[in-house]
Amino acid sequence: MTKARKSSRDGRTRAAPPAGRGGGRQLGRQWGGRAWRLALLLGGVLLGLLVPWVAYLDHQVRTEFEGRKWDLPSRVFARSLDLYPGAPLSLKDLEVELRVSGYHRVDQAARPGQYRVSGSTAEIHRRPFEFPDAAEAAQRIEVRFAGPSIARVRDAQQGADLDLARLDPAEIASIYPLQKEDRTLVDIEQVPPLLVTGLQAVEDRHFKQHPGVDLSGIARAALANLKAGRAVQGGSTLTQQLVKNFFLTQDRTFIRKFNEALMALLLEYHYDKAEILEAYLNEVFLGQQGAYAVHGFGRASLFYFDQPLERLEPQQIALLIGVVRGPSYYNPRKHPQRARERRDQVLNMFAETGLLTAAEAQAARAAPLGVSETPRTHGSRYHAFIDLVRGQLAQVYREEDLRSEGLRIFTTLSPSEQEKAQAAVSDGLRALADRGLPATLQGALVLADVASGEVRALVGDRDGSRAGFNRALHARRQIGSVVKPLVYLLALEHEADYNLLTRIEDAPLTLRQADGTNWQPANYDGVSHGEVTLLEALTQSYNQATVRLGLNIGVNHLLERLRQLGVDAAVDAVPSVFLGAVELTPLEVTQIYQSLAAAGYSVPLRSVIAVQTAEGDELVRYPLRMLPQPRREAISVLNYALTQVVEQGTASRLPGLLGSDAIVAGKTGTTNDRRDSWFVGYTRSRIAVAWVGDDDNRPAGVTGSNAAMHIWAGLFRQLPLEPVDLRMPDGAFWLWVDPASGRLSAERCGGAVQLPYVEGSEPREASDCLAAAREQDKESIWRKLFGKKQ
Amino acid sequence: MARSNENHCGLNRLFAAAAAALLLSACAGWTPPADTPGAAPEEEVESRVREPARQDSAGVQVFPLQNPAVKELLADASAAETAGDYGQAAVLLERALRIQPRDPEILQNMAEVQLQVKDYEQALNFAVRSYDSGPRVGEICSRNWRTISVARERLDDANGAREAKERAAACMNTPPQSY
Repeated sequence: MTKARKSSRDGRTRAAPPAGRGGGRQLGRQWGGRAWRLALLLGGVLLGLLVPWVAYLDHQVRTEFEGRKWDLPSRVFARSLDLYPGAPLSLKDLEVELRVSGYHRVDQAARPGQYRVSGSTAEIHRRPFEFPDAAEAAQRIEVRFAGPSIARVRDAQQGADLDLARLDPAEIASIYPLQKEDRTLVDIEQVPPLLVTGLQAVEDRHFKQHPGVDLSGIARAALANLKAGRAVQGGSTLTQQLVKNFFLTQDRTFIRKFNEALMALLLEYHYDKAEILEAYLNEVFLGQQGAYAVHGFGRASLFYFDQPLERLEPQQIALLIGVVRGPSYYNPRKHPQRARERRDQVLNMFAETGLLTAAEAQAARAAPLGVSETPRTHGSRYHAFIDLVRGQLAQVYREEDLRSEGLRIFTTLSPSEQEKAQAAVSDGLRALADRGLPATLQGALVLADVASGEVRALVGDRDGSRAGFNRALHARRQIGSVVKPLVYLLALEHEADYNLLTRIEDAPLTLRQADGTNWQPANYDGVSHGEVTLLEALTQSYNQATVRLGLNIGVNHLLERLRQLGVDAAVDAVPSVFLGAVELTPLEVTQIYQSLAAAGYSVPLRSVIAVQTAEGDELVRYPLRMLPQPRREAISVLNYALTQVVEQGTASRLPGLLGSDAIVAGKTGTTNDRRDSWFVGYTRSRIAVAWVGDDDNRPAGVTGSNAAMHIWAGLFRQLPLEPVDLRMPDGAFWLWVDPASGRLSAERCGGAVQLPYVEGSEPREASDCLAAAREQDKESIWRKLFGKKQ
Repeated sequence: MARSNENHCGLNRLFAAAAAALLLSACAGWTPPADTPGAAPEEEVESRVREPARQDSAGVQVFPLQNPAVKELLADASAAETAGDYGQAAVLLERALRIQPRDPEILQNMAEVQLQVKDYEQALNFAVRSYDSGPRVGEICSRNWRTISVARERLDDANGAREAKERAAACMNTPPQSY
C-alpha cells in the first residue's frame, strides 16, 4: 500500500500542469485524462502487486490444505475380553469391564454401547470394532453367569448358542500431540447425511453454488446486523471458516478478512466441494477438554455424547452444528439452557429447509440434550500401565510419532484386574497403617499372566490417580530373600549332590569382606538351626544355611543365572548377594519369577500386543515367543518347594488371608532393618509381585509376610485361584520317600511323603518299611503263582 | 484427502527404520526368518510331521477334552493355515493359548505354524512345551518329536534331529494313558 501511494504521488508529479497553459475546460479535460491515466497506472501497479500476493496466498493455502498433517493422538486399548462358557469371569467383573469401555446400563439394550442386566444374565449390545485380527460387526450378546464364571453365551438376536464372543476393548488412554489437540478423523462418505446438509442449512446455504465467497450472504448478514444494531449474523462461508481455522487467528482486521476471502476463492478453485467439506468436518474447533482442544465432529461426538458420529440422533447433530458458532458460549455442559435454545434454533432451520418434517423437528425439540454427564477421561487411572506401554514402544517409535500418527495401540491390560490391584495396594496400605505401620509407606504391584507374560495390571503408587514416580518400574530396591530360590535352583541343578532332602548346615559363619571387615550373617529369628534339609532351609528362609549353600555353588553362577533369567543389572559378586543384596525393580522381579512359574518357559513380559496405523493396517506385532530356560526339570522341582513356603514356611499365614487352600507358590522377602517388604507369588495362571517400603529407604518396620504378602493376598482374594501346575517334565519325577532318612519309601508306609526329584538326584536305598514291603510283595507273587498252579 | 500420501511415506520410512531396529532388539516384534533355499516347509509339515504321526498312532488319539471356544479358534487357525495365512493362524492360536495356555494341541499347532514360517527355534520351543504338558504318548507325542526333529535338522543339529526321530517312534511303545 505504501508503494501504491508512492506511485500515485509520482504520477501526480509527472502529470502536474505546466504553469500558465490552458483554461478551465482544458483543465477539466486535462484532469479527466490524468485521472484516467492515473487509474490505469494504479490498476497496473495494484495488479502487479496483487499477482505475486495471490500467488503467495495460493502457495500457503495449498500447502496447508494438501500437506495438512493432522496430528492425531494415539489411542491405547485394553485387551479385548473373550466371552465363552467356562470363562473365569463374574457378572460384577463384566460390569466393571463394560463401564470402563463406556457401555451404558439401560432397561433395553437397543443400541450398540448399551447393556442390560437381569438376574444373573447380561445382554450386551456389542459395538462394531476393528480388532487387530479382524473386524466384527455390532452384535447382541447374552451372557449368563453361574457364580464366578460364565455358564452360557448366546447370540440374543438369533437365539443360537455361541462358543466364543468378544467385547470391543476399552480405550484406556490417548497419547496426545504436543499442541494438545484431540481429533478423530471422519470420512465424508461415512458421516450422517443430516450433518452434511444441516451444516450447510445453518452456516452456508449457498455452499454448493458460491465460489468460496458468498456476496449475497455478506449482504444479507450486513443488513441483518444493521437492523439489529450489532453483529448477529456472519457472512463467512464454510470455506472461509475453514481457512480461518487453518490459520487459527482471532485477528478480525479488514486485511485478514480480505486474505481469508482470497484464500477461500483459491481453495475452491483447486479443490472440490466434498474435499473442502470433509476438511471442515475434521478441522472445526468444537470444544475444550481440560488442556485439549476438541477438533472436528468425530471427536466432538465422542466428547459430548460418548457415541460415534454415525449413531447420533437428529437433535444431537443439531446441537453439534449449533456449537460451531461458539463452543465455549454454547457449551452444553456449562450452559445447558443456552445450548438448548441454540439447538432448537438449528432444528427450526432444519425444518425450514425441509431437512426434517415439522413433526420430526418437534419430536427432536422435545428430546433432552442427551449430553453425557462428564466427557470420558482417559489415562487418569492407567498412567502407571501407560508408562510401561511407552517404555515398550520407545524401542520402536519416537515420542513425536506416538503423539501425532494416530496409532492404535493394543495392550494387555485387564481393566477389572487393574481396578482390583489398585484397590489391593491402596486399601492394603491403609490397613497396615491402622495396624501401626507408618502411614507414609508406599507400594507397588505387578500382575501378569504366567504363560504369556502379558502384564494385566500395574500399580506404581498407593494413590492410583497420582501420576508421578512409578515404583513398579523405577523403584530399584534390595530384594532380600526373594533371591534365595535361585540359590536352591542352582543346587538342584547339581543332581549328583543335592535334592530337596539333602542336609545342609545352618550354623554361624564369618566371612572376610573385600574391605577387610567381617560379615556374620544371622538368621531372622537370631537362632541357628543346625542340620536342616534344603527344603526346610528354603521354606523357613534360613540365612546361614543359604549362604553356606551359596558358597558351595559360587556367587558367579548365581549372577549368571540372574542374567539368563533376564536381569541386566550390575551386581557386585559378593556373598551378600545370596541374601538379596541385589537391587531390582518390581517389574524385574516379576520377569525372574515368570520363568519359574511357567516351568522354565520364559517369555519377555509384554504390555503391547500390536500397533496399527489410524487406518487399521498392522505396523508391528509382539507375538508370544518362548525362551526356554536350561534345566527346566530343576525349575519344576523348585516350584514344588515354593508351594511349601506357603504350606509350611514363612508364608504359612497366606491361605488364611486368602481364605483358600488352593496350591499357591510364593516367597517372602525382607531387607536389612526392615526397609523393604516383598512378596512374590503365583498360581497356575497369574503371577504377582508386591513391594512395600519407604521412598527414602528408611527402616519401615516391614517384613515380607507382614506387609507385601497382605497386599498380594488382597489382590488374589478377588481372583480365581487355579492351583500351581506341579506336573514334572522329562528329567524329573515324583517319588514316595521317607522324609527323616531321605530314603525311598512307599505310599502305604507311615510318614512317607511324595517329593519331586531331578533325575539322578533320587535316593537309591530303600527305607526299612519299603524293604519289608518289597519282601512281602515277592512272597505274595510266589503265593499267587503257586496258588494258580494248584 | 485429509491425510496426504507424503505422511504415509514418511511413516513407512519410519517403520522401515523401526523394523531394522526391531531385528536388533531383544524384545523383537515378529519378522519372518529369512528363506532357506530349497526348503519346502509347507509340504514338510504334512509329509514329515502330521502324516507319519497319524500312521504311527493308527487312529489312537490321546487328547484332553477341549473347550468349545478353543475348538472354534483351532478350526479358524487351521483354515487360515490352509489358506497360507500363517500370520493370522498364529494370532488365532495365541488367542486360544490365552484360554488354555497348556493345551498340547494348541501348542503343537503353533509349533507347526512356526515350522511353516521357518522360525525353527520357536517351532522347537513350542513342540517341547507341548510335549511337556501333553500326554507324552500317541499321535501328538509323535508330532511333537517329528517337529523337533525337523527343526533341529534345520538348525544344523543332525544328531539331535536323529535322536528326536527315535523319540517319535518311541511314542507308540507305551500304551496311551488316560488323561
